Amino acid sequence: MNEILRFIADLTGGTYYKSFRYCFEGVEVPTVAYDDNRIITMSQDKIGETNKSLKTSKSVADLSEKIMKDGKPLFRFFLDGSRRTYKIDDIAYGDRIYPIIAGQIGVGCCERSEPDSFKPSVLGMQIVLTLPDCADKDSKKDPFFNSLAQKINNLEVLKKRGISFQKVLSYTDRVLKEGEKYEHKGIAKIQDEMVENEKSMVVQLVREKKLNLQSYLLKDGSLEYKKIKGAHYKELSAIKSNYQCVVGVSKTFNPELFKDKRKKNLARRIADLPLFHRTPAFRYTNERAPDVEFSIWYLRVREISKTVSPFDGVLKVEKILVTDEEQENGLESDEIDYISANLLNERHPTCYGLDGRWANHLYPVYLTEKYIKSNYLSEVQFLNLF
Amino acid sequence: MAKVIGKAAATEKIPTTIDEFFFWTDKEKILHPFDVVKAKHINDSVTFGVIEEISHITDAPSYLTSYISSDFGDVSHIANTQRIGLNFVKARVVGNTKNIYTPVLDGSEVSLGDEKEVQKALGLDDVKKPLACGYIEMYEAEDRVRLPVFLNSDFLLGPEGAHLNISGISGLAAKTSYCMFLIKAVQQRYLQKDIKPDQGIAFVLFNVKARDLLAIDEPNEDLDEEDKKLYDELLRLNDQPFENVTYFYPYDPGDYSNTYAYKQDVDYQIDVNKAFKYKYVYEHDKNSLELLFSNTYDPTDTMDSIINYIITEQDQFGDIRNWRDFMSEVDTYCQKQSGKDPTITPASWRKFKRILRKPLSNSVFAHGVDDKRNETRLRDHIADNIKKNDIYVIDIAKLDEDIQNFVFGDVVNTIYEMKLGQTGEREPEEVPQKIVIFVDELNKYASSEVPKSSPILKQIIDITERGRSLGIILFSAEQFKSAIHDRVKGNCSTHAYGRVNAIELSKGDYKYIPSVYKGMMTRLEQGKYIIQNPVLRSLLNIKFPNPVYKQFKHG
Repeated sequence: MNEILRFIADLTGGTYYKSFRYCFEGVEVPTVAYDDNRIITMSQDKIGETNKSLKTSKSVADLSEKIMKDGKPLFRFFLDGSRRTYKIDDIAYGDRIYPIIAGQIGVGCCERSEPDSFKPSVLGMQIVLTLPDCADKDSKKDPFFNSLAQKINNLEVLKKRGISFQKVLSYTDRVLKEGEKYEHKGIAKIQDEMVENEKSMVVQLVREKKLNLQSYLLKDGSLEYKKIKGAHYKELSAIKSNYQCVVGVSKTFNPELFKDKRKKNLARRIADLPLFHRTPAFRYTNERAPDVEFSIWYLRVREISKTVSPFDGVLKVEKILVTDEEQENGLESDEIDYISANLLNERHPTCYGLDGRWANHLYPVYLTEKYIKSNYLSEVQFLNLF
Repeated sequence: MAKVIGKAAATEKIPTTIDEFFFWTDKEKILHPFDVVKAKHINDSVTFGVIEEISHITDAPSYLTSYISSDFGDVSHIANTQRIGLNFVKARVVGNTKNIYTPVLDGSEVSLGDEKEVQKALGLDDVKKPLACGYIEMYEAEDRVRLPVFLNSDFLLGPEGAHLNISGISGLAAKTSYCMFLIKAVQQRYLQKDIKPDQGIAFVLFNVKARDLLAIDEPNEDLDEEDKKLYDELLRLNDQPFENVTYFYPYDPGDYSNTYAYKQDVDYQIDVNKAFKYKYVYEHDKNSLELLFSNTYDPTDTMDSIINYIITEQDQFGDIRNWRDFMSEVDTYCQKQSGKDPTITPASWRKFKRILRKPLSNSVFAHGVDDKRNETRLRDHIADNIKKNDIYVIDIAKLDEDIQNFVFGDVVNTIYEMKLGQTGEREPEEVPQKIVIFVDELNKYASSEVPKSSPILKQIIDITERGRSLGIILFSAEQFKSAIHDRVKGNCSTHAYGRVNAIELSKGDYKYIPSVYKGMMTRLEQGKYIIQNPVLRSLLNIKFPNPVYKQFKHG
C-alpha cells in the first residue's frame, strides 16, 4: 500500500499524509473555473447567419419531417469527453500542503451507420496525475513530469496490474485567492487535458476522412476551446477546416451571459422559444480563441409543458465559421436550418429516467458518454492503486 | 472455436454460478430454448449449457421512457437511432470437457456447438445399447443441427431404470403414436445381433380408443419420403409396420357390438389366424371377480367378504358352472331372511348384485370357449403362447369402464403370475425375458382418486415398484399426470411430456420445470415431446416421425 505515494514523495522531496481518498464526482464539487461561455465577446455585426431579416424565431419542424421521410440523417459521428477525478492524498512541500489529484480521462467517438447499428469508432482512455508546480524543484517543467510518469510506471504495483499513467500534470502553486482551492486547479488541469484529447480526436477523424458534408460530427458540449497552441494547430486555417463538419451541442448553458445588439438579455427569448423553433444565429468570438468566430443559436426540441424548467429542452448549437465567406456574412441560413432540423430528429429516443438532463440530452451522445464511462476503472480499483 | 455469438456476463445482481451462466447476444440472433451453447472456460476447457430463457433488454428503465421516446405516444414516430438493446440468455450448465464446474467467467466467448459437441453436451455420445427415442433439431439456417437421440435401453427397460410415462392433452399430444414409435424401436433393438437368445421381449398393448391400434401390422400409406428417410437414415429403424401381431377382440354373439373394428376386418384377421375373441368363463374367472369392484368404495370390506365367500365356494357356489346360475344364486342371497350366512346382510348382497348386473350381462362373460371359432381366454392364451417379439393387442375400447378394468386387471395379473412362474407349464426360458405393457388412460386404473383397496391399483404399484426386476415394463399414458398415483409416476424412470394445458402445469408435478419450458409445453406441436430420463443431462425437446402403421383418420 501507498507504494506510489511513497515513491512520489521520495522523488519530489515531499511528505505524504495518507489522507482520505475519494472521487470528486461523488461529492459536491464547485464549478470549475473553465466552464464554457465564461466570457463572450459579441462580434460587431452580431448576426451569425446570411438571412439578416430573421428577428424572432423560425420553425424547422417541416424540414425535419421532410428529412425524416426522404433523407439520411446528417450526423453520423458522435464525440464526447469525460473525466473522473480523485483526491488521492495530501503532500507537503516546505511549509505548504498540496493535494494530489488523479484522474481518468475518456474521449470517445461512436458511429451510427444505420438506425440499429451504433458502434464505437475511436476511444482514448488516459490516467493522469496532477502535482503542484513546486514538486518540480529544478523547474524543468515538462521533462521533469514526463520522467516522473515514466518512473512511476516502472513500479511493480502498476506493472502487475497492467496499468500506466499517461501523464503527470502540474497545477499552479500560486497563492490562492479567496474562495479558490488547489483541488480545483488540479481538476481544471485534468479538464484541460480532456479538451486537448477531444481536439486531437477531431483531427484524427478529419485525417481519416471520416467527416464530410453527408457525415457530420456531433460533439457534446461547446466548441469554444481555450487558446489553441501546440504542434498540431499551427495553422489557424487548418484548425478551422477540421471543424467544417463539426457541430457542438451544449445541454447546459448560461443564457444570462448572452445579449443581443441592443444589450437586451436573451434569456426571456430563449425561455419563450416555441417548440421546434430556432433563434436567429449570433456571431461571437471567445477570448480563449480570439481568431476564431462562432455562429451560435438555440433550438427547442421539447415541449415546455413537459419539462421542469423553461430552459429544459433547449439546445445551444455552435459551429465555427470556416470559410472567408462565412466569416464575412455568417453561416448560410439554410445550413443552420438543416443542422437544426437534423438535431430535432435526434431528440428521440430519450434517456428519460436514466439521466436527469434527459430533456436536453440527445440519445446518441448519451450512448457515447455511457460507452466512455463503461471503460473507466472502478472507483474501488482506482483508489486502491495508491 | 466456432462463430462467437456473444459473451458471458456476470453482474453483481446476477452472477454466473456452478449451475447456470448468462450471456448477451445480438438482438436479431435467433436462438431457441433447449439449444446447446458452449462457453470458453479455464484450462482450455469448454462449458456446455442448454438455453433456458431468452430475454430482450434495453437501457429504458421504465415503459414511460419508451412512451416518451416515441414522441410522447406518437405511434407513427420513427427515430434516427434505435434504442440500444440486446438479448440476454440464461443457460443451464450441463457439462464441462474437463469436469471443471467453477462458474463461467465474465467475458468468456459463447458460441454454438457442432453435431459432436451437441451430442457430448447432452450425454448422447457413445451410448451403449442404443435405443432410438426420437431426434432433436437446433439452431437456424446454416448452423442447423439435426441429431438422433439414442438412450441406453437399460434405463428404459431395466435393469437400471424402467417404465415410461407419457402425458399430454388429448389429440394434440399424440401419446399413442409416440409410445408406438418407442415400441417399434424396442422391438428392433431386440432383433439386433448383440441380444442373446434368452433376452426376448414381448408386448401387450391395450387399444382404448376406437380403432387406433387395430391395424398396426398394416402400413401407413400416408408415410412420406421425409418420414421414411428419418426412420431409415437418421434413426436406423425400418419403416415397415409391426410384425408378429395378434389381436384380441371382446367376444360378441356376432353383432360386433363390443368393438369399433369393422366386421370384415375382424373376420379377415380371424381367417388368417391373427385375431381371437376373448371370453370370461365363470368356472375359471370367478377368482378375478374382485376386479369388477376396483372402483367401488368398500370401507367395511363387505364386498370383499362376499367375493371371498364365492371364491371359497361356500354353500352352493361350488356347484355353479356359468354366470347365469351365479347371478340366480346371488339373487337368493338378496332375499330377506333367506337363512343364508347371517354375517353378510341381504342389503350387502343386493349392492353386490347391483354392481355386477350390468357388466355380467355383456357377452364377454360367456359359458364356454370354442377354440375352432378362434375364441380364447386371455389368461390362458397369454400364459401359454406369448413368446419373444410378439405383440398382443387387446381391444377394450368399446367395453364399459368396469369391464375395461376387469380385462386390464386380469391381463396384468396373468403377466405378473406368469413372470413369477405361477401359471401354465411353460419352461421359464420359453417366457419372454421382458414384457412391455402399454396402456393409455392410466388415470382409469391408477388415479390418485382410485380407492386404496383397488386390486388393480395395487397391481400397478407392484409392477412399477418390482416389475423392473421381474421384467415387466409399464408404458403408460394419460392426459393429466398430476392425477396419477404418486408411487406409480414416481417409479417411472422416463417421462415424456406432450402438449399440456396451463391448469395442469400449475400443479406440483411440474414445479421443477423452468417457466420457459412450461410455456413451450402449452404450445408443443404434434410430434414434439419433452423427455426426461436419468441418463440425460437436461430435458430434451425431441421430435419423432409419423407412425409406420395404418392410421384411421376418423377413428
